[in-house]
Amino acid sequence: MADLFVNGIILGSIFTLGAIGVTLIADILNFFNFAHGDMLSFGAYLALFFVGVMPNWGTFPWLSFGPSMILAIIFAMGVTAAFALFFDRILFKPLRERGASELFLALSSLGVAFIFRSIIRLVWGPQAKYYGGLQMARRYPLGITIKPDEFFIVGTALFLVVAVYLFLKKTKIGKAMRASSDNKTLARVTGIKTEKVVIWTWIIAVSLTAAAGVLYGIEVQLRPIMGWNILIPIFVAVVVAGVGDLWGAMVGAMIIGVAQEMLTGLLQDMFNALDLDVLMTAYKPAIAFVLMVIVLLVRPQGIFGTGE
Amino acid sequence: MLSYFISYLIMASTYGIAALALNLQWGFTGLMNFGIGTFYFVGAYSSALLTTSHSPDYVGGFGLPFIVGLLGAIIISGILAYLLAFPALKLRGGFFAISMLAISETIRLIVKNEKWLTNGVWGIRGIPQPTRHLVGASWSEWVYLGIAGILLYIFYRMTEIGVRSPWGRVLNAVREDEKMAEMSGKDSWNIKMQSFVFGSMIMGAAGALYAHYMGFISPSSFTPLMATFIVWLMILLGGTGSNKGVVLGAFVVWGVWIGSEFLIDFLPSGITSKAGFVRMLLMGILLDVILLLRPQGLFGREKVISKLGGSSEE
Repeated sequence: MADLFVNGIILGSIFTLGAIGVTLIADILNFFNFAHGDMLSFGAYLALFFVGVMPNWGTFPWLSFGPSMILAIIFAMGVTAAFALFFDRILFKPLRERGASELFLALSSLGVAFIFRSIIRLVWGPQAKYYGGLQMARRYPLGITIKPDEFFIVGTALFLVVAVYLFLKKTKIGKAMRASSDNKTLARVTGIKTEKVVIWTWIIAVSLTAAAGVLYGIEVQLRPIMGWNILIPIFVAVVVAGVGDLWGAMVGAMIIGVAQEMLTGLLQDMFNALDLDVLMTAYKPAIAFVLMVIVLLVRPQGIFGTGE
Repeated sequence: MLSYFISYLIMASTYGIAALALNLQWGFTGLMNFGIGTFYFVGAYSSALLTTSHSPDYVGGFGLPFIVGLLGAIIISGILAYLLAFPALKLRGGFFAISMLAISETIRLIVKNEKWLTNGVWGIRGIPQPTRHLVGASWSEWVYLGIAGILLYIFYRMTEIGVRSPWGRVLNAVREDEKMAEMSGKDSWNIKMQSFVFGSMIMGAAGALYAHYMGFISPSSFTPLMATFIVWLMILLGGTGSNKGVVLGAFVVWGVWIGSEFLIDFLPSGITSKAGFVRMLLMGILLDVILLLRPQGLFGREKVISKLGGSSEE
């Protein structure tokens, strides 16, 4: 069980990076970005490209990759964000200016999702890919097994969350973003440039999800569908926590990650004890969904949401 | 060539039925259903299990006639939609869309993994096409086209009558302003539930129609692209809120989809293997171009002019 908990934290830290982006976009731009998962995959594949063209600088001790991966993450974050800004300019901005509804924007983001996914398939093909060698897990007390790479994954995720937190808290544009999230009209009246806020929202949200994609690629493998598959747990993390709360998104993502791993384990044990032939691991993604239904029925505004 | 054309008409009619259903839910009620695949799966599998001959691998088949399969698909989809309505319809806008997407992925997992019920990834073979054993394969296509056409017409008439009735006006009221509708004494949850269930039943029928035409279904029959996304494209192109428009949209989009297959033959051989992804890319771009340049679609919502001279527009 302790091992499943640790697995949940690792998964949760990847979900966190995705969930912060979804919650920022939902809060400041007012729509659910259905392209978020495919932007995550895109980031992962960009890093694969970058690692491929870089000279081989060897690997870090312990880890399965070298310094080029750090640069690859930065590259993936930047380029994916640039793509997102491009789509904002040609698609979301005109729609916004026309006063399109939240649902229209969500629908157009679904179109963007398919565009990203088909670009990935066209450029890299549909097969699964890996960054590098496979890594053996090490044993720790309580039956916990962790791959050294996984320390890197959780550490990087934490670093990025703290960086975003400080950005929102300390910088001028970060404060403007928080003000816009509270009250857009008031923010504009007080002289905050909304378009600048929009651009920074995209940059932060999308670069985080690109980083999440690379980390997810290190943890498992790269597939064109990888991001779409974790889009639902990411959405659920946001919905469960309540839209617009950075720490809430993180806690929500951790809850979803841990619940997915531990509930699958617990239910599998239960079914085995009852001699029922059910393969619970196959239903991991469904657990996030069931959790969302329960939370929304009990507390529609989310766990941390205040409800307006 | 003719058989291509018949096949096109049958599939376009099937999609036309699904488009009418989505138009009822989204165009008239404002329910953003991102999980059309759910009801395709349920409809297709219900009908397949009811009509195929007995198999040792999964529940059923019961060897019942096509019409029982079709009705079964409609009824079971309706029951599922009714049960889903309780949690899902408490959610608004994007939250509803997310939950529908999550449900459809969950249903896909069930279809894939519960081998005793659905034969898992191997799918179900030998789903009978009505009258095939009577008239032979070539004539059977014509008969099936007739069935698909009649069903399309029936559902078209039903939705037309529905949305023009007082019930349809309440749907519109709920879509435009839910609070206002409630203030006028309308139970908005109930209204949305009716539209959702009715639409889902029609989607179930479309799923069954697909299953009997193909003769084979599997968990990969209804991907998010081919089940949900393409139907959205159809109703947006045709014009949300116009039943005539969305049926036309289905025929146009399916024509483009099939037509692009012919174009692939002219491409250099290196690209042909990737052609499916090019088509997917084009569909994504087409959706966003429509949303940008012509959000009302080819037809657009009909203006409803009240007796008092006011008009309601988008």
